[in-house]
Amino acid sequence: MNKKIKRIISITFVFILLMLPVKVSASDGSSYVYDGYIYDLWGNVKESPATFQLERTINVDNMGGSKLGSVDDVCTSKDGRIFLVDSTESRIFVLDENGGLLANLKLMRNADNKIALDEAGNQIMLTAPEGVFVHEKNRELYVADTGAGRILVLDLDNYSLKRIIGRPENLTGATQFKPSKITVDLADRIYVVVQSSYEGIIELTADGSFSGYYGVNTPRVSLIDYFWKSLASDEQKAQMSKTYAPAFNNIALDGEGFVMAVTYDTSAADMVFRLNSKGENVLREEGNTLVVGEIWSLHGDDQGSRFVDIAVTDYGTYALIDRAHGRIFLYNFDGELLNVFGTVGNLKGQFKDPSGIAWLGDKLVVSDKTLKCAYIMTPTEFGRAVLDGNRFYYNGKWDEALVHFEKAVKLNVNYDAAYSGIGKNYLMKNEYKKAMEYFKLGQNRMFYSKAYNGYRSEMLEKYFPLVMVIFIALIGWMVFSEIRYHRKGGKKK
Amino acid sequence: MKEEIREKFGYLKRSIFHPFDGFYEIRFRKKGSTMLAVLLLMVFGILRCVEHQYTGFVINTNELEAMNSVSIFATTVLVLILFAVSNWTVTTLLNGSGNLPAIVTVLGYSLVPYMFGIIIKVFVSNFIILEEAMILNVVVYMGLIWSVFMLVAGLLTIHEYTFGKNAAAIFLTFVAAIIIVFIGMLFFTLIEQMVGFIVSVAQEMIRRM
Repeated sequence: MNKKIKRIISITFVFILLMLPVKVSASDGSSYVYDGYIYDLWGNVKESPATFQLERTINVDNMGGSKLGSVDDVCTSKDGRIFLVDSTESRIFVLDENGGLLANLKLMRNADNKIALDEAGNQIMLTAPEGVFVHEKNRELYVADTGAGRILVLDLDNYSLKRIIGRPENLTGATQFKPSKITVDLADRIYVVVQSSYEGIIELTADGSFSGYYGVNTPRVSLIDYFWKSLASDEQKAQMSKTYAPAFNNIALDGEGFVMAVTYDTSAADMVFRLNSKGENVLREEGNTLVVGEIWSLHGDDQGSRFVDIAVTDYGTYALIDRAHGRIFLYNFDGELLNVFGTVGNLKGQFKDPSGIAWLGDKLVVSDKTLKCAYIMTPTEFGRAVLDGNRFYYNGKWDEALVHFEKAVKLNVNYDAAYSGIGKNYLMKNEYKKAMEYFKLGQNRMFYSKAYNGYRSEMLEKYFPLVMVIFIALIGWMVFSEIRYHRKGGKKK
Repeated sequence: MKEEIREKFGYLKRSIFHPFDGFYEIRFRKKGSTMLAVLLLMVFGILRCVEHQYTGFVINTNELEAMNSVSIFATTVLVLILFAVSNWTVTTLLNGSGNLPAIVTVLGYSLVPYMFGIIIKVFVSNFIILEEAMILNVVVYMGLIWSVFMLVAGLLTIHEYTFGKNAAAIFLTFVAAIIIVFIGMLFFTLIEQMVGFIVSVAQEMIRRM
């Protein structure tokens, strides 16, 4: 009897322990767990765990006493430094990956730590900078000093001023030289985004001379406008508002050296660009949705996602930050939607006016202009499986990729991208039958078709004798019936 | 009986390959069968459901979890019936000599090439890759064009129209169809309001008693 009571009590205790709410906490004790989702082929929302969780917030407390006016852009270096641009206070903060302040840049110094002066003998101070770029190859830090209309090139290690790139003398067109975002490619060409420039991205050579406008951003033309314009006379046309090409708003470099750009202009036909050397968009959109972010408008005047920044990993997976909904969209190299998470709000981990996004290894750093902070986000268990799966697939390691995608499927059975990922790896291993099964689960018709092509030729090869026998028998029967027909003197039965 | 059925199918075949001749025989020598045509309409409705469900995965982008075969069948058949009725109303006003059974017969018979197109599509689409889908679509469109040609030729024959008048009648058919749908909607809304009124009066009575 006593034993029985003990057993009951112990079982109750186990249950109570199991029922206790488990607190999910990040490393600094804060906790913010996002709700994620994806869209399926038909635009239905499928709930999913979020791929990232908040690890820590960087705000004015981390800035060692300096004021923080806004955070306008964020950039990271491979050794784990985070660069935050404050356009209001005209400062650039350099932090380590734990949020500790390393440097605070405003007044430029030259290599022997003296205050740098320009030709007129004035001190060189940052004036409302909006962008920063780390050029690992030459160990350089490019700062878009927007207010002063120049680009400052600093040393990446001691932040001393190396050179200044002003307005190129051979710059043509109507675009003002107000660099806002910068990217430098592996051949040291400098790509400068000027907000509201309809001529494209300014491309500069390594020495800072103008080499041309880059990138094609075609506007969306409405049929009604087209109809009225076709009716109008030349004088009327002159009075009508002109359709300008939408501006690019942010820029990044992917692992293969392609320039990726985003625009949040509502009149643009595309929102995300992967530009080839001719400036055409060669973004892969082979997922179940197009790379447009939000699919359904939430209310009448919601015009879809407004991407302000893009961050690309060296395995082609990219994150887009949507200002209109405060969401982060994660796509892989093929344009498959991996995850959507984040909301607008004032709470910790939410966004008000997100301005920049960057990868810090596998982590994400997202800055918010109005909340004056940056979030460091770490991948969740699910997120790690998704990212690793895509990384190994991109690098051609099929078996490792399979392990990670299978884990992702275990954590989320409604996850199209992981099924499709498993299928792709089986396809690469020439296991067509399995690949087909998984592509069907992932609703990936294009890759299913590729797998089926392999499977069909395999089957044809296997049953070639049988197919041949049937074919010959058919021909034989036709010939035989012809002969019989003619023997009977051309009469039908 | 067997002989009769055989003859009906013979004329079906004739009207597929020689629409003008075949439909002339059907209309003026009573060689057609409205029963067979209605049956073909039903089969067409079922075929649309089959197409929705069993077209090969590669070109089938329908959301199969949310498929509603009753609604697919009903919308397919109702649209065809609507066409027949509105064509009948228009051609009655425009001195057409075809009656409703004749129109239904033409409609049912002329669906056959398209139905063959659908059958071929459903079968072959299970064995193709994406690049070959275009060729298959050409086959289906050929069936569709054949069907439309049969329909136009058939209506022209049974109503004894010239080509121009036939084209005008078909255009007016669509206009009439829209009017019928509009009146139908109006009717149902009014009925709904009336029923609502009666229900509320009844409720009022029950509460007061």
